Amino acid sequence: MDSLKTKEERAGGKEIILGEGLFHMPSSPDERPYLKGSKCLSCGLVFFPKLKICPKCLRRGTIEEATLTGKGVIDTFAVVNSALPGFKSPSVQAYINLLEGPRVWGLITGCEPDELEIGMEVELAIGEVKRDGEGNVFISYQFRPIGRSLK
Amino acid sequence: MRDVVVIGVGMTRFGKFLERDLQDLGAEAVWKAIEDANVSLSDIGVAYVANAVGPQLSELKGTIGQHVLTAAGLFKIPVINVENACSGGSTAFRGACMEVASGNCDVALALGVEKLYCGDTAKSAEAMASGTPYAKFGFMFVGLYAMNLRRWMKERNAKKEHFAKVVAKNTYNGSLNPYAQFRKPMTVEEVLNSRVVAEPLHLYMCSTMGDGAACAIVCAVEVAKRFTTKPLIFVAACELVSGSYHIPGEPHVPITRRAAFTAYEKAGIGPEDVDVAEVHDAMAPAELLLYEELGFCPEGDALRMIEEGKTALSGELPVNPSGGLAARGHPISATGLAQIAEIVWQLRGEAGERQVRNNPRVGLTENAGGWVMDDNGACAITILKR
Repeated sequence: MDSLKTKEERAGGKEIILGEGLFHMPSSPDERPYLKGSKCLSCGLVFFPKLKICPKCLRRGTIEEATLTGKGVIDTFAVVNSALPGFKSPSVQAYINLLEGPRVWGLITGCEPDELEIGMEVELAIGEVKRDGEGNVFISYQFRPIGRSLK
Repeated sequence: MRDVVVIGVGMTRFGKFLERDLQDLGAEAVWKAIEDANVSLSDIGVAYVANAVGPQLSELKGTIGQHVLTAAGLFKIPVINVENACSGGSTAFRGACMEVASGNCDVALALGVEKLYCGDTAKSAEAMASGTPYAKFGFMFVGLYAMNLRRWMKERNAKKEHFAKVVAKNTYNGSLNPYAQFRKPMTVEEVLNSRVVAEPLHLYMCSTMGDGAACAIVCAVEVAKRFTTKPLIFVAACELVSGSYHIPGEPHVPITRRAAFTAYEKAGIGPEDVDVAEVHDAMAPAELLLYEELGFCPEGDALRMIEEGKTALSGELPVNPSGGLAARGHPISATGLAQIAEIVWQLRGEAGERQVRNNPRVGLTENAGGWVMDDNGACAITILKR
């Protein structure tokens, strides 16, 4: 019964983007997703999420928009054996050192929690992070170890 | 600036009180502090009231301080509502101290009041995560603590037994504290046998939801004798800082260290002068990191501190004699003022069975909160002296 109900709800649910403006969602399979950040033209620091004032240069007018590949390495991670309502449990959370410099928080998907290691290379994966009681599916940015398929 | 002293503190027991509202909890803490300080309502010139999740979990959507204080009988005076996540209580205390120090009034009150239990656990969990906007992406504070501890364990070759020892110490302290939410002492084995919440954190290492209120009354030292014959507790420093941005490649001073050393300078003391401390161990093992960040031991010596019992009630620098956040409980905005109340009792020698044995003269509280970008939102350090 439960699975049937879920199916009906799914049919009635909407796809909702969580964090509009943070990432580019591919509209075709050969397009790659990327993160939308910003960059300081004065010192070269890159930020994600976007900053409007560089915390190093501390003045206006040095920032422009920048795209980030979303590739990086796991700085540290945690497997939380519970989750906020609607999120997958266990919830695998990590800090990623992105190639372009910033250290960002994100969920990890596409691998078994016991395969994770500090220093592992990850890439951006846009996909479902949450589902609510009305069957709405929430899409956002997360990371997956490079070379794994999205589960 | 005038010297400020704490003349009264009071708190409710922390726990699950579904039948009590913010007004009821707040009024109890306020009146206990008023009686402790021996002031009348009309002596209080200004009040700072901290609350974080009231608008989400209670019927009160604004001016919560006024709603709570009028229930206690306090009308007309200026009320400043404070929200600073888990550091709200200390932030309110700082405001009250500044009012007195500046000469704006002689007596000021600071209250922290919070209710996490609302009968709907999911709603409470979402409210607790609301200290950061990343919660909508699934961010959980327990994950953050687990991440930091995982790195730290690797760097220091620490074992989970070290973390469990902190919990054993703090739950023992909590078992002696009539205000504590959890009063069952745990052994290292019991802690490690409890379920894993987020490796390396086990259930009994983590603070949970709680309801409660805590209050402090401060006044100018020159008027204190009018009210009380108890030992005066001087506010030697109450420093509040916000988080910084970690610029890659540049040294990053942890927020707690930055706040603590600002406070030591203001108080004219060093970490070696601290006799007793209450620290913000929302996950008990974080206490070990704080030993080093607060300068209680040289970097790399935290494990030795717990192994040698230096921070136990009978140690040379007892930490979290109240039981800390995991045992005493952590009703967000009430925590900072509960820490201050505990240090006041310890410095006066009024802490009963959990009284530290080293005849303390200097106490410290550390109260951090929220998560902004890549750092705590705020951190407050208060240094109290007898």
